[in-house]
Amino acid sequence: MNPVYASVRDLSEAIRAGEASPVELAEVFTERLREHGHRLNSVVAIMEKRALREAKAAQREISLSGPRGPLHGVPYGVKDLIAARGAPTTWGAAPLRDQVLKYDATAVRRLRRAGAVLCAKLAMIELAGGMGYKQPNASFTGPCATPWSLGHWSGGSSSGSGASVAAGLVPFALGSETWGSILSPANNCGVSGLRPTYGRVSRHGAMALSWTLDKLGPLCLTADDCGLVLEAVSGYDPGDASTSRRRYRYSPEKDDFRLGVPVDALDEAQEAVAGNFKDSLRVLEKFATVEEVRFPDFPYEAVTRTILNAEAASAFDEFTEQGLARGLTAPEDRYGPYARTAVLARDYLKALRLRERMARIAEDVMAGFDALVAPSRKAVASPIDQEFRKVSPGTAKDVMGALGNGAGLPAVSVPNGFSGEGLPTGLQFMGRAYDENRVLSAAVEYQRRTGWHRRHPPAFKP
Amino acid sequence: MESNRVEAEALFRLVEQLYGARLTEAELEEVRKGVERIVEASAELRAVRLGNWDEPFSVFTPYRRRGK
Repeated sequence: MNPVYASVRDLSEAIRAGEASPVELAEVFTERLREHGHRLNSVVAIMEKRALREAKAAQREISLSGPRGPLHGVPYGVKDLIAARGAPTTWGAAPLRDQVLKYDATAVRRLRRAGAVLCAKLAMIELAGGMGYKQPNASFTGPCATPWSLGHWSGGSSSGSGASVAAGLVPFALGSETWGSILSPANNCGVSGLRPTYGRVSRHGAMALSWTLDKLGPLCLTADDCGLVLEAVSGYDPGDASTSRRRYRYSPEKDDFRLGVPVDALDEAQEAVAGNFKDSLRVLEKFATVEEVRFPDFPYEAVTRTILNAEAASAFDEFTEQGLARGLTAPEDRYGPYARTAVLARDYLKALRLRERMARIAEDVMAGFDALVAPSRKAVASPIDQEFRKVSPGTAKDVMGALGNGAGLPAVSVPNGFSGEGLPTGLQFMGRAYDENRVLSAAVEYQRRTGWHRRHPPAFKP
Repeated sequence: MESNRVEAEALFRLVEQLYGARLTEAELEEVRKGVERIVEASAELRAVRLGNWDEPFSVFTPYRRRGK
């Protein structure tokens, strides 16, 4: 079989059937990373030695006693804010390009336990966008392109994770989201990306941008693969007090759905985004009831923005005080951290108090629904050399993003079509806390009935 | 709103005192805009009334080393 663009589930079947070997897969994907990573600026480091060591161990074990599970022997990459032995952990920032963390993050340890093979550290926006970047060129590895058009941005901050999966350089990758950093690259690169419930996946060993907003999650070719990866990396971790003791088992069993569409879902959306979303609703209506929902007035964005600003200011206090921001790539990131030192404690605490009310609003609006659906982004990928805030719709409120991240709710983005210029658009399903199986089930059913996730960028076909 | 403007100006002056030497005039102007956005967000938060019993959505757990 040709493993490039095979789903994790298909690779797993091939390994089980003896049609693919972990060592062959590691060699194929490290070669793909080497050949194409620089075209996209999507790779920080290829971990060939570690990949071959883990692949050989997987191959030995599988030949003796069979695979441990669906990820055994499957290659992957991680966003470069996740610590892994064998390569620097740069956080995308030039001043930290030589930072070495000599341990594996809990998520990497869990993937090792599942037998997955780590091949690469993947590019990201410097400090996960925490300094307020406005343009794609905000990483010491350069602006990351979407494989659908090298002149357009991959999205961020999990840029390399989205682009590398879309280009077939790794079968899956881990990214992180504080506010939009998984859904944005999933949208721009035309892949499936899952933002889990806050606390599902340990943040231990991952750069902190905002302790109460950061989530790690997978980017894959299919929503089904996202479920397989989430099961492997989720669970309680004494190294991260915010992790949930609820056990997650991926089981997409549901087949009748009730979905809600926010009444303002298409406000200020680009024409292609709106058209593809309406087409998606027609598909969804074949297996789900779809109803409009309305969020009450509430300062959703102010709550989440204030929490993010205050926590980021504290998380990067030393970095800022030492003047290290001066060495960052994007000019706006060099002064970005200073304004947020002005957030007052009373306002941060007020935001934390309002967060509970926001979470209750989300529960009220979403009661009885399996998920809310909306465009993942209201615009397609912006030109790689322009400020995305100027190109994308600027005044539309991101209530789904503010509420979803502020209340820690899961969401999956899947591709749902293309613009006239061939850039992908995305459809998001956002669920109640701990309802990953419901949002994934709906997304899996959508993908069963559509073929957008099976389209791949022509310039990267094997 | 006048109170927002006064607050933003005062906070900006503080930031300028602390970090102004590191920043160019153009960068300071961008910082000023950033402070103004922060104050606008704060004003939105303050407009929502809460009761004394409405606690922050976080729980502090006293720490004790296991087995000691």
